[in-house]
Amino acid sequence: MNLVVAIFAGLWFWFASGCWGYTFHYVLKQPLVMALPFGILMGDIPTAMIIGATIELVYVGLISPGANIPADECFAGVISIPLALLAGAKPETAVVLAVPFGLLGTFLDQLRRTVNARWAHLADKYAADGDEKGLFRCAFTYPLAAGFVMRFPVVFVAVYFGANALESLLGYLPEWVMHGISVTGGVLPALGFAILLFVIGQKMLLPFFFIGFFAVKYLGINTMAAAVFGVCIAVLVVLISNQNKNDILQTVGVGANRDDDDDDDDE
Amino acid sequence: MAEMLQNEVRESVLTEKDIKKAYTRWYNCCEISNSYERMQTVSFCYAISSVLKKLYPKKEEYVAALQRHLNFFNSQGIWGSSLLGVAMALEEEKAIGKDISDETIINVKTGLMGPMAGIGDTIDWGTWKPLFFSIAASFSMQGGIAGFFICFLFALVPFLEGWYLSKLGYRLGREAISKLLEGGWIKQLIMGSSILGLFMVGALSASSVALEIPITFTMGGTETSVQAILDSILPGLLPLALVLGIYTFFRKRGQKFGRVVFFLLGLSMVGSLIGLF
Repeated sequence: MNLVVAIFAGLWFWFASGCWGYTFHYVLKQPLVMALPFGILMGDIPTAMIIGATIELVYVGLISPGANIPADECFAGVISIPLALLAGAKPETAVVLAVPFGLLGTFLDQLRRTVNARWAHLADKYAADGDEKGLFRCAFTYPLAAGFVMRFPVVFVAVYFGANALESLLGYLPEWVMHGISVTGGVLPALGFAILLFVIGQKMLLPFFFIGFFAVKYLGINTMAAAVFGVCIAVLVVLISNQNKNDILQTVGVGANRDDDDDDDDE
Repeated sequence: MAEMLQNEVRESVLTEKDIKKAYTRWYNCCEISNSYERMQTVSFCYAISSVLKKLYPKKEEYVAALQRHLNFFNSQGIWGSSLLGVAMALEEEKAIGKDISDETIINVKTGLMGPMAGIGDTIDWGTWKPLFFSIAASFSMQGGIAGFFICFLFALVPFLEGWYLSKLGYRLGREAISKLLEGGWIKQLIMGSSILGLFMVGALSASSVALEIPITFTMGGTETSVQAILDSILPGLLPLALVLGIYTFFRKRGQKFGRVVFFLLGLSMVGSLIGLF
C-alpha cells in the first residue's frame, strides 16, 4: 500500500512539475486536484478533499510572474496529503507539513531551470542541421527525462519512509514549533495576494481590493458570492466608464476624459 | 522532395490546421524546457518549426528561419500565443518573397513579448487562477469532489483564449497587433479583469490570511484580548496590514519573494516562541 502510494506520488510530482501544457500542468500541480486520486488510492476521498482544499487556500494567490516561484504547492501537496492520510492527521496538521515542503520545493524548480540550459545549447546544434525531431527532443523529451531523475526519487523516498518518521517527529517537535509553522500557514497566503496586487498593479483600482476585503469581513459573503459580485462590479464599471467617455466626447468633442491606465510601476 | 518544390511558385498560404498545430505545440511545451539562460526560446522555435518547414522547402532557408527563432524569447504562454501568430504571418510573407528582414521578425517578438506577458499575467494568473481555484476550494471544503473538476476550468479557458489569440495574431499581423494594444477594447478588458482580480484578492485576503494576537490581559476588572481590541477598531486589521505591507515592499524593492518568505517564517516562529501569536 505504502509502496503504491509512494510510487504514485513520485510519478504525479514528476509529471505535473514537468510542465506539460501551460495551464494544464498547473492544474495538476494543485493540492486540491491531486487530492482526489490520493483519496481514491487510499480509500478516503472526503478527508483527502478537505485536506487538499485546506492546503489549496494557502497557495491560491501564489503566482510567479517570470521570476522564481516563491513556494511549490505541488511538492507541498504531493508529500503532505498522503502522509497526512496515512497518519490520520487533521487538515491543520497537513498544512503544517505542507508549508516547509512547499518552501523546499522551490529549489527543485531552480535546479530544473539551470539544467534546462543544456537543452537550449543542444537545440542550437539541431537547428543548424534543420533537425525538427531533434528540436522536439530538446523541447519535450530531454527536459522531461531529466525531470524524472530530479523529481521522482525525492518524493518517493519522502512518502515511502516519511510515514513512520512523521509520527515520531510530530511527537518530538516542541509545541511552539508546530504552532509557529501553522502560523506561517496562516500568513503565507498574504505573500500570494501581495504578489497579485503587485501584478495587477493599477493603483487607481486599489479601492476594489478594499471593497472585496470588507465585503467578506463585514458582510460575511463566501467565495462564490464574492465571484458573482466581483464580476457584476467589473462589468458595471467598464460599461459606465465607457458610457462616460462617449458622453464627454459628445459634449466636449475631445477624447481622453481621464486616463485609466496608470501602469507606471513596471520595475 | 524539397528539391522538387524548389522551382514552383511559392504561394504557400498557411491553413488553419498549420496554425492550430503550432499553437497546440506551443501550449503544450512552452514551459517544459524553460531555462534561466533562454527561457521559452526552445519551445517557441519548436512550436513554429513545422510551419517554417512548410514555408521554406530549401534547407538553408529553413535552417536560417529556425535560427531566427532561437533568439531569446520569453512571454506569457497564453498572450504570447498572439506573437506566435504574428511570427507565422511574417514568415509567410517573407517566404512568398516580400521584403521582410530577419530583424523585423525578431524585433516584433522582442518588442511585444513584455507587454503581452503583462496582460497575460493580469488576466490569466491575476484573475482566472485565484477565481477558479478559490471557488474550487470552497466547493471541496466539506469533502466534495466538485472542486477537482472546477480546477480544470483553468486548463480549458486559457487554452481556448490562447487559441483565439494565436489566430488573431496571425490574421492581424504586426502593425495591427501593436495598435490592438493601444486600442479601446483591450484596455477595457484589462480594466475589467483587474477590477475582478482585485476584488477577489481582497475577498480572499479577508477569508484566508490568518493572523491574530490572542494575548489576554485584565483591564478594569474584565479580561480582554489584544485581538478583541483590534477587531473593535477594524476587523481583519492584521491580515490587511500584512498584505499591504508586503505589497508596498514589492513596489519599493521589486519582486524579492525569497526575502518575504523568510521574513514570514521568522515572524511566525519568533511570534510563536514568545507567545505573541
